[in-house]
Amino acid sequence: MEYLTIQLVTVATAEPAGDLFSSIGVNWTLLGLQTVAFLLLLFILKKFVYPPLAAMLDKRDEAVKASADAAMEAEKHAAEAEARTAELLDEAKREAADIVATAKEEASKTAEDVARKAEAKADALLANARDELAKDVASAKKALASETVGLVAEASGKLLGGKIDATKDAELIAKALKESQ
Amino acid sequence: MMHFVAAAGPHISIKAETLFSIGGVPITNSHLLGTLGVIVLVWLLFQARAVALGKKPANFATRLITWTFEGLYSTVKQVIPDEAWAKKVAPVAITIFFFVIAQYWMGILPIVGPITIGEHATPLFRPFVADLNMTFALALVTIVAAQIYAFKYMGFRGNMGRYFINPLKDPIMAFVGILELVAEFSRLLGLSFRLFGNVLAGEVLLIMIAYLTQFVSPLALQPFYLFELFIGGIQAYIFFMLTVVFISLGLSHHGDEAHDDVHSPSLHKTVESET
Repeated sequence: MEYLTIQLVTVATAEPAGDLFSSIGVNWTLLGLQTVAFLLLLFILKKFVYPPLAAMLDKRDEAVKASADAAMEAEKHAAEAEARTAELLDEAKREAADIVATAKEEASKTAEDVARKAEAKADALLANARDELAKDVASAKKALASETVGLVAEASGKLLGGKIDATKDAELIAKALKESQ
Repeated sequence: MMHFVAAAGPHISIKAETLFSIGGVPITNSHLLGTLGVIVLVWLLFQARAVALGKKPANFATRLITWTFEGLYSTVKQVIPDEAWAKKVAPVAITIFFFVIAQYWMGILPIVGPITIGEHATPLFRPFVADLNMTFALALVTIVAAQIYAFKYMGFRGNMGRYFINPLKDPIMAFVGILELVAEFSRLLGLSFRLFGNVLAGEVLLIMIAYLTQFVSPLALQPFYLFELFIGGIQAYIFFMLTVVFISLGLSHHGDEAHDDVHSPSLHKTVESET
């Protein structure tokens, strides 16, 4: 360490007395030449190296920006498509509801018509049946009446042709009834 | 006579030492390592250029350079909002960054220090940015570039209006203008001595650790190498950032209407835009 101290002191004191800058090692000739050397390096790098590097970065920035714009545009389109889909879905739901309501109404109407027609048909059938029944009853009555008259006439003839007593009468009646059956 | 072992004690010199002269121009030990550093830097940057042009596939080094370039380029654009001016300023500032970091890291190579020459055991290599001439040259380029851009942006009267204000109209701003002028010179010294001091201190640190630990130094130096790599990056970024800020100061004044905002309005704009 003592050697080091001595050496530093020697370096500091061995220099000839000059101006402040030369005492700390500034040599104006070297300073000028080194400045020119640095400017030459700057010129070479500015001319040949930095333009391709800057162009590459600018191109990449533009590509990133274009991608971001495209992504934003796609997002906008997606949002629009989503809104359009929602709108179409609402419209479809509305139309489906209308169709269902109309179908229900028509079904109800058809059911009423069918019921009304069935009722009318049933009424008509019932009326026909009644008419037929009434006609049958009337014809039966008519037939019965004419048959009764015949029977009565026949019975009267037979009755009047034989001796009438209580026993005979009962027999006759039973006979007549039996025959009438 | 060239020696490949360290001298009896550590050799520390504040100045770069002259090895020989060419046409009366002294060639120092910092020039040798500086030349080597510039060759490596230019070769690496041209590799990155070839990759950018699609002539070569990318590798780790070219990706690192492209990534660094991108970060620095976007920083310049953030500090100087006007993109056209940012593109003009970027090459100067980015070149300073790459130059400083390359030269700083070259100083960590094991050839720096042990290889000596002459009977005084002068080191053959010395970091280029541990030469005050170089750091002063870089600071000079920064300050002159800031003035040139300011002249182009505001014109002669506009730029002079930053420093010389009629004291009868506005005595306070006239005083501030003088302070601004003094600040320009102090920036020149601040930039150059900050970098020089850091590199020299780093070199001294490595030399002392190597000297004190002797044969254990290959192990003992590792954390200090990492520290120096980190400090090299930090110093290069500081120099780059200060260059951009000093230039942006000249691009953010608009004559008399901007007198209330003389310190770093472009930075204010950046902060406002970020918040």
